[in-house]
Amino acid sequence: MAQPGSATGKKDAARVAVVAEGVISPLGFGLTETLDSLRKSRDCVSPVKRFSVAQCRCKTAGQVSDDRLLAGRGEAPRSRRLHRASHMMIQALKEVLAQEPRFEPELTVIGTTSGGMSYGEYYYRSLRQAGDLRRAPTWIANYPAQKPVIDAQVAFGISAPCQVIANACASGTNAIGHAFECVRSGRYQRVLAGGYDAISELVFTGFDSLQASTPEKCRPFDRQRTGMVLGEGAAVLALENLASAQQRGAPVLAEIIGYGISTDNFHITQPDPTGIGAQKAMQQALQSAHVSAAAVDYINAHGTATLFNDAAEGKAISALFNGVPVSSTKGMMGHSLGAAGAIEAIICLLALQHQFLPPNINFGALDDHLDLNIVANKAPPAVLRTALSNSFGFGGTNASILMRTFEA
Amino acid sequence: MSLAIAGVGWVTPLGGGVDSVWDQLLRGHEASATTMSEQFGDRSYSAFRVPESVMASVAHPRLRRASVISRFAAAAGLDALRAGGLEPGSHNGERTALIFAISNGGVVYTKRFYSNIVESGAQSASPLLFPETVFNAPASHLAAILGITGATYTLVGDGAVGLAAIKMAEDLMANETLDYCLVVGTEEIDWLLCDAYRRWRLLRSSPPIEPFNEQQRGMILSEGAGAILLAREGPFTIECAHPGGCFSKRTEAGDILKQILSDLSETQIDVVISGANGTFVDQAESEAIGQIVPDALVYTGKPALGESVGAAAVWQVILAAQALRSAELPPVLHAHSAVTMRLSHSRTSMPGARRAIVLSCGVNQQAAGLRLAIQ
Repeated sequence: MAQPGSATGKKDAARVAVVAEGVISPLGFGLTETLDSLRKSRDCVSPVKRFSVAQCRCKTAGQVSDDRLLAGRGEAPRSRRLHRASHMMIQALKEVLAQEPRFEPELTVIGTTSGGMSYGEYYYRSLRQAGDLRRAPTWIANYPAQKPVIDAQVAFGISAPCQVIANACASGTNAIGHAFECVRSGRYQRVLAGGYDAISELVFTGFDSLQASTPEKCRPFDRQRTGMVLGEGAAVLALENLASAQQRGAPVLAEIIGYGISTDNFHITQPDPTGIGAQKAMQQALQSAHVSAAAVDYINAHGTATLFNDAAEGKAISALFNGVPVSSTKGMMGHSLGAAGAIEAIICLLALQHQFLPPNINFGALDDHLDLNIVANKAPPAVLRTALSNSFGFGGTNASILMRTFEA
Repeated sequence: MSLAIAGVGWVTPLGGGVDSVWDQLLRGHEASATTMSEQFGDRSYSAFRVPESVMASVAHPRLRRASVISRFAAAAGLDALRAGGLEPGSHNGERTALIFAISNGGVVYTKRFYSNIVESGAQSASPLLFPETVFNAPASHLAAILGITGATYTLVGDGAVGLAAIKMAEDLMANETLDYCLVVGTEEIDWLLCDAYRRWRLLRSSPPIEPFNEQQRGMILSEGAGAILLAREGPFTIECAHPGGCFSKRTEAGDILKQILSDLSETQIDVVISGANGTFVDQAESEAIGQIVPDALVYTGKPALGESVGAAAVWQVILAAQALRSAELPPVLHAHSAVTMRLSHSRTSMPGARRAIVLSCGVNQQAAGLRLAIQ
């Protein structure tokens, strides 16, 4: 089996430190608010107002408040033209650089699924309905998926090359995993990694058309689960060669220790029901970290609350792990697609830093066919050293990363 | 670490087959433009499209409902694999990585899907179309066709994304557990894209693309795919995949290109395969080339093949490999004779040529480069 995480296979592969982190999501603006929402098991899903959902089954999503997001953007014309996804990325990167102003990335790896999609929608609607197209050049120039990443870099004078990964819902975890590999191999010293996505009508309607989204509450792994709700947000991690970070006196928040990636080729929208793809990704992450399944103290599951995902992922987890606490935090904030893996990585890091288990809200009773130890509805204190985060996406793409508290 | 090209394949507006298209380029042929119109649009646009006959033999159950972008990618990917001596299923699917480079993605199905919503409301949204609108749909189809079960990535970016994908492949191949990495750049064309690029002031209404012209009249979009099978050994070595960087304004593009060229030209460079496409890119590239590698021959294939954005840089690498292999360059079409660079205005022999630089400056703030050598 391929072991991407084993880097060059050398035992002296570099250790990879997380030296700063930034996040914006329905759970809050920044780490402090996110932590507070997690500890209070806050349900941050709300009715969608950005576009009409009258004909959709699902009417809700986890959303970032525009009042707050756009309040800080300034009056400069350039700033006002940017897509709200750019403002999310800027907000997340700002928090990173506030912690580590000296962080100079050699590479930026960011996951997304839909870029500035809503600008594409405005453009198309205006064309079709003979609307006002005077802003079309702005919409078009700010639509590409790499633009929010470059906008965030430009806002802080960074010109590092960008790799924008669009591996569907696994994008954010793939981005962090690939960045981890880059540093671990010794080819890079400092890499920014993360993910972003902003909610859009096209994507919202797409999931609704697949009947993957629910008109009810999102209940991951629950017997009564009926599907997902969408979310949005951005998260960025600053990864650095541990020796380099220590040499320059940077704080080490935690380490990324393993990464696994697999492609299960079963179906373009459905996971292999045996869970083999998910299982392989988790196994690879463990092997690359040289740790056993028993060493994992918490799993942040992909847990979309769709029938298929939770069944396959649940099988995969119980095949590898024995009673480890598992939660999906998507019930609180929705599924933010390309941002999800990055936001959930930060949730894991917060759990490791503050020693608690993030909650799986809206949970009643476990699916009869699953054997999982769900962190139900509350965020209890716990002794945690190692956490695993899963993300799986359309096209059978599966990714897992392992994080650990820092011990010198 | 050694990174080599073991096989290449492409699907272009001049057809498929690497040697066949190369021969046409050497003879100064260019693709025929197709006029694209739209019921709700008041303009028509010219674009270079892949002839339907080229795709006739591409069939697989996985492609039955797939958009044409996935079919282009499959055709080019299979050609590259076979050129490298592999057959689908004959290689270890976990020891082969797949990286896709895409810019606009599945725009045909995306437009169709959203059009249904705009015209008839969300209830008419098609669950069959939606999955094909996702950026990684083409990669997912090709992974299934080739039996790749390990790392699969889709990178999104501007015209430089193909080189970013090769850089990523270089990083992945540092992992000794991988034997091969297949890099595929692909793009499909639609009236909507043409209209968008025109409003962005990057498109001209009809051919030709006039590279390095003082007046930047714009580009003509094209479609297709290019694929490169990377291995540890092969007839061409990628000596350096330069990650380049991002520029904040068009006027800064030249600075980053100069840095890329400077870093890549520490050894004798025989030819630069430019990404000049009739836009601001040309001036930035011409200044950088003139200053850093003034003695190198320069070629751009975009007047003949069009600007294929996500596929463009992969095509450029294939052009570089073909130029080194055949030791000659095709004529750069529609270039003004007053251009001061060593442009190959006519079919030009390059006896003994060993190294090429591929330079790519995208229209959306990304630039990268690559140095290729023939063994």
